[in-house]
Amino acid sequence: MRRLRRLLTLVLLVLSPQAMAMEIGAAAPNLSALASDGRMLSLNQFRGQVVYVDFWASWCAPCREAIPVLDTMYQRYQGRGFTVLGVNVDTERKSAQRMIDQLLPKFPLLFDPQGKWPEAFGLRDMPTSYLIDAKGVVRYIHKGYRARDAQQIEAAIKAALGEKP
Amino acid sequence: MNMKNVCITGLATALLALSGCAQVQPWQRGDLARPGMAFESDPLLTTYRQHVAVSKEAASGDTTLGGGGCGCN
Repeated sequence: MRRLRRLLTLVLLVLSPQAMAMEIGAAAPNLSALASDGRMLSLNQFRGQVVYVDFWASWCAPCREAIPVLDTMYQRYQGRGFTVLGVNVDTERKSAQRMIDQLLPKFPLLFDPQGKWPEAFGLRDMPTSYLIDAKGVVRYIHKGYRARDAQQIEAAIKAALGEKP
Repeated sequence: MNMKNVCITGLATALLALSGCAQVQPWQRGDLARPGMAFESDPLLTTYRQHVAVSKEAASGDTTLGGGGCGCN
């Protein structure tokens, strides 16, 4: 009976589709995806820079609010070894494009309609962003977005860049 | 049939049933937001239908209010 119980637990664990969520201190996975300019961009290409990976979708209202703020931060800290990577997870490209045409963000945008990036990161909420340091280690995770979160995000970026927050 | 067989059959049934479950991941919620996924594809038509149904049932207050009876309100 005990063996059966163990087997049942094992089966349930195997069947559980939830991937392990990425924690602070974990190494960021090396992933690549098609960028808005038609090039393939990988996360490893940005090694040596502080990268803010922002998962967004056209149907996600807080994402719409966050993108202009992240764009400001991108332009403010770009010269100091910082970049934002906007990973779009829309299954239809035209939905994403409509939002891009409205918001016109300057930072690099990637398209991942198959959801390989969020799966590798173990994403549990939309939007979620990961701040990855120059060594490729996750330093800060931000779930959701509200206007008041901008200061907190900027402080984390500054800390990762080695500046006083 | 002994206890072991019952358990194995139950486990196999549970496995078969669980394999049909699909978890919608947070980044897939856009699929749920599509018009085709709505319970009612046309809200206006639904309102008309509800109005007709409520009138025929002689209930007042439509489906959102309690009451009903004479249908004269």
